Amino acid sequence: MPQGDYIDEHRKRYGYRLDHFEKLRKKKAREVHKHSTMAQKSLGIKGKMIAKKNYAEKALMKKTLKMHEESSSRRKADDNVHEGALPAYLLDRENSNRAKVLSNTIKQKRKEKAGKWEVPLPKVRPVAEDEMFRVIRSGKRKTKQWKRMVTKATFVGPGFTRKPPKYERFIRPSGLRFTKAHVTHPELRVTFCLEIIGVKKNPNGPMYTSLGVMTRGTIIEVNVSELGLVTPAGKVVWGKYAQVTNNPENDGCINAVLLV
Amino acid sequence: MQSNERSERGKTKEMKRDQRSSQRECWSGRRKKTNKVEDGEAVPFVSPSLFPLFANYYKSNKNLLKTRFKESGKNCYMQMREKCQENKVVKIVDRFSPVKDHLDRPSFLRRLDFLLNRHRRRLIGSLSTLQLRSSIRFLSDIYLAKMVQYNFKKITVVPNGKEFVDIILSRTQRQTPTVVHKGYKINRLRQFYMRKVKYTQTNFHEKLSTIIEEFPRLDQIHPFYGDLLHVLYNKDHYKLALGQVNTARNLISKIAKDYVKLLKYGDSLYRCKCLKVAALGRMCTVLKRITPSLAYLEQIRQHMARLPSIDPNTRTVLICGYPNVGKSSFMNKVTRADVDVQPYAFTTKSLFVGHTDYKYLRYQVIDTPGILDRPFEDRNIIEMCSITALAHLRAAVLFFLDISGSCGYTIAQQAALFHSIKSLFMNKPLVIVCNKTDLMPMENISEEDRKLVEEMKAEAMKTAMGASEEAVLLKMSTLTEEGVMAVKNAACERLLDQRVEAKMKSKKINDHLNRFHVAMPKPRDNIERPPCIPQVVLEARAKEAAEMEKRKTEKDLEEENGGAGVYSASLKKHYILHDDEWKEDIMPEILDGHNVADFIDPDILLRLEELEREEELRQADVEESDFEIDGEELSEEQKQHLAAIRKRKAVLIREHRLKKTVAQNRSTVPRKFDKDKKYTTKRMGRELSALGLDPSSAVDRARSKSRGRKRDRSEGAGSDAMDVDDEQQANKKLRGRSRSRSMSISRSMSRPPAHEVVPGEGFKDSTQKKSAIKISNKSHKKRDKNARKGEADRVIPTLRPKHLFSGKRGKGKTDRR
Repeated sequence: MPQGDYIDEHRKRYGYRLDHFEKLRKKKAREVHKHSTMAQKSLGIKGKMIAKKNYAEKALMKKTLKMHEESSSRRKADDNVHEGALPAYLLDRENSNRAKVLSNTIKQKRKEKAGKWEVPLPKVRPVAEDEMFRVIRSGKRKTKQWKRMVTKATFVGPGFTRKPPKYERFIRPSGLRFTKAHVTHPELRVTFCLEIIGVKKNPNGPMYTSLGVMTRGTIIEVNVSELGLVTPAGKVVWGKYAQVTNNPENDGCINAVLLV
Repeated sequence: MQSNERSERGKTKEMKRDQRSSQRECWSGRRKKTNKVEDGEAVPFVSPSLFPLFANYYKSNKNLLKTRFKESGKNCYMQMREKCQENKVVKIVDRFSPVKDHLDRPSFLRRLDFLLNRHRRRLIGSLSTLQLRSSIRFLSDIYLAKMVQYNFKKITVVPNGKEFVDIILSRTQRQTPTVVHKGYKINRLRQFYMRKVKYTQTNFHEKLSTIIEEFPRLDQIHPFYGDLLHVLYNKDHYKLALGQVNTARNLISKIAKDYVKLLKYGDSLYRCKCLKVAALGRMCTVLKRITPSLAYLEQIRQHMARLPSIDPNTRTVLICGYPNVGKSSFMNKVTRADVDVQPYAFTTKSLFVGHTDYKYLRYQVIDTPGILDRPFEDRNIIEMCSITALAHLRAAVLFFLDISGSCGYTIAQQAALFHSIKSLFMNKPLVIVCNKTDLMPMENISEEDRKLVEEMKAEAMKTAMGASEEAVLLKMSTLTEEGVMAVKNAACERLLDQRVEAKMKSKKINDHLNRFHVAMPKPRDNIERPPCIPQVVLEARAKEAAEMEKRKTEKDLEEENGGAGVYSASLKKHYILHDDEWKEDIMPEILDGHNVADFIDPDILLRLEELEREEELRQADVEESDFEIDGEELSEEQKQHLAAIRKRKAVLIREHRLKKTVAQNRSTVPRKFDKDKKYTTKRMGRELSALGLDPSSAVDRARSKSRGRKRDRSEGAGSDAMDVDDEQQANKKLRGRSRSRSMSISRSMSRPPAHEVVPGEGFKDSTQKKSAIKISNKSHKKRDKNARKGEADRVIPTLRPKHLFSGKRGKGKTDRR
């Protein structure tokens, strides 16, 4: 009957087995070969897992080797020139950035085009209508095709009441409704699970905005009262905009970046 | 003629087989092996000290118990539910007094409910309180047997976070389909991925549940183990870890639920796949977060597996005292546990267990680490182990005292310790052991010390409960082994006394006593009748004993004759021969060119004799077979009789067969419900007389006899008495009994009446037995009266099982398709 650490106990009394260290050495030496045969033999997911692990190890090793090499080998000191540094003979020159002065209207337009916000995802893939909606056939013979079901994640406000189903053109299925989003604060580098207040703008069109569809690039308003942000005037900020950065319908959750 | 006879014989054989089979049906209830539980027998309630035994019992009778549970569990469940809803849980508890101690535990009730709930759908049966009672008992037995498993070695390994994820994901990969195509119908695609998500979740759930279930709940195991585990691993930390595992389990379930819901809206393979990946990824993330808890649990598991298996309910001797006073040395002397002994304090760092025998009983001896005399809060983990053992084990305590003081503590210090922990010795047999008498004899200690020892002794005597002073304070030296056995014996003896006393006081004793019976012949007179052992036997025994003592072994001989290497033992010494002188004879191996061994057969003569005898027998057989009974040798009249008998037999068989085909699948109606009144005594008389027998006595016996008039009876007795004049009194008594019972009943007169208590049956008195018989009779009265099917009848649920009578039959067995 074992009581406590019986192997330790035995070693304390009688010492190690005579061949203990020899065996240990051999085992260690064989281990590499064993691992290699295993890696070569195993198939399927096991094989993939081993290969991945081996690759990671190898990469790490190479990296460390290189680091060591770097520290020991000599090389030329880098002569990077700081930005804005000028040679002496150019010091007293005036330089103009632009050859042609842009007209005011063009400037205006550009600004307009860029939008009000400097968003992290300036461009998104347009979503076609037939991807966004699924046609639902209705009527006794299933011939009428005026109903649509939204296939993307949507936000439906708490005060929403359905129209009578007979007249309801767009169906937003309850399984795809979301009320919370994982919002990352880009400066703090932390993520919070915040409540969605509304959809501000869907880049694919105003109709989607009004329907509350959330696709990649959509600007949503989130409740940041938990974060405790304050305005310069000292008021607590309640709602803030964030941009959705993933495809919610594929991931089953909404990830967004706070716009600061 | 001969062939005819053979067919006849065949027929009779058939008849016999029929009879036998019907007999077998009658007995089928009792045909099980005797060491198994019978259906009608109540499952005995198990007292805590019998748990290990019960575990075996449960194992061997598992199937039967299972079926019984199935039968009665539903009712039990329904009734429990009802009662619980009415908030009368306490009332049921009162009714089932044997399980009362455990029924009032909420955890137990919950467990019971859970068990019942799990099997609810499979249960069938009829309502009765008795069944409810027995099933509750049974369940409680199972529960207790489970609860009492203090074998922490069986907890499954807890994999660390990464391994866990690998196990689960590779299982999903292996055990769910892997081939899918874009062209599949969307429903199929959705189903394919949903299956993966659900399967992963169930695996997670299963694995996490085993962790949660297998690790003991500290408040449900024996308080000794509860506290020990608390001391060793810290209860809060332990609970937190298990709690985290539980939360992870719930979170994973929730994630799976959410994603399955989302998958229902998946409209493409890509989307479904993305959702699946996300679902599995989130599950794995949840698991990764509890990695530290899993690592902690794994460490605990490994440590727990190495805890000594102490049974907290058995006979236990506990050794305690200051460090380095010789506790472990005593342990090594008394048991076979090989405990490390070193000349420094705290060599023993945890509890150690060993076993020893006393009076054919096994005792568990527990060696504890030394305790220092300091406040409770300052004690470290090592000391707390011994404190836990002292506090929770109902054991005989040996308090070790180093009277030489070589352990580094004076007697005064040790006495102080004794007084500070004496509250832990309450209600336990306590023995104070003065160790190391080889260094300092008991007589040499100083006056003050002696006083201290006396004080301790007085304290110990308070709880001694009638033990003598010699059994409380003992001297011993583990070095010289002086007094070691005395200490052990004293402790075991006192423990045994105390346990027996406690048992006698308990309520359950009646249940046990009803089952005990010691047969003692009634003393006829005052003569002593000691066992009679013949003088010869006594002498032989004495001689044997004497011989055993002084028998010279081969080793002794060797010593005498010059030691090893010089003396050579004679192998021929023990030959068994007719004449002892032949022993030393030289035997040739080869004689006249032949190997002697080839010609040796010690019982060749015997063989010859055997052969001859066999031949004789054979010859006798052959002669006998010459006489054969032949039809030719019978007279004309005999032949006629034979023919008549055979004809009658044939008719009987035919009738019987007819009856059998008609009566199949119908319960046989007892004679008294025979509406046609076909079988009358008159008819019997006629038939018997047709056979040429005198029917009068048979008819007489078949008729039930009423008591008749009193005078008739007394006259009858009188007339009898004329013949047997001497034993008049005794006979009168016999005759005076009521004759109302038909004499054809087979109950023998020498057996006691049914309601009389036979010792060992488990009834308290005859009233109890009577009422029990009454209840049992009443329960099947109605059924019997209507000749309905009962529990004991053989049942074939489906006569023609569909799966055996449809479809083609392959080349395999006939009972599979």
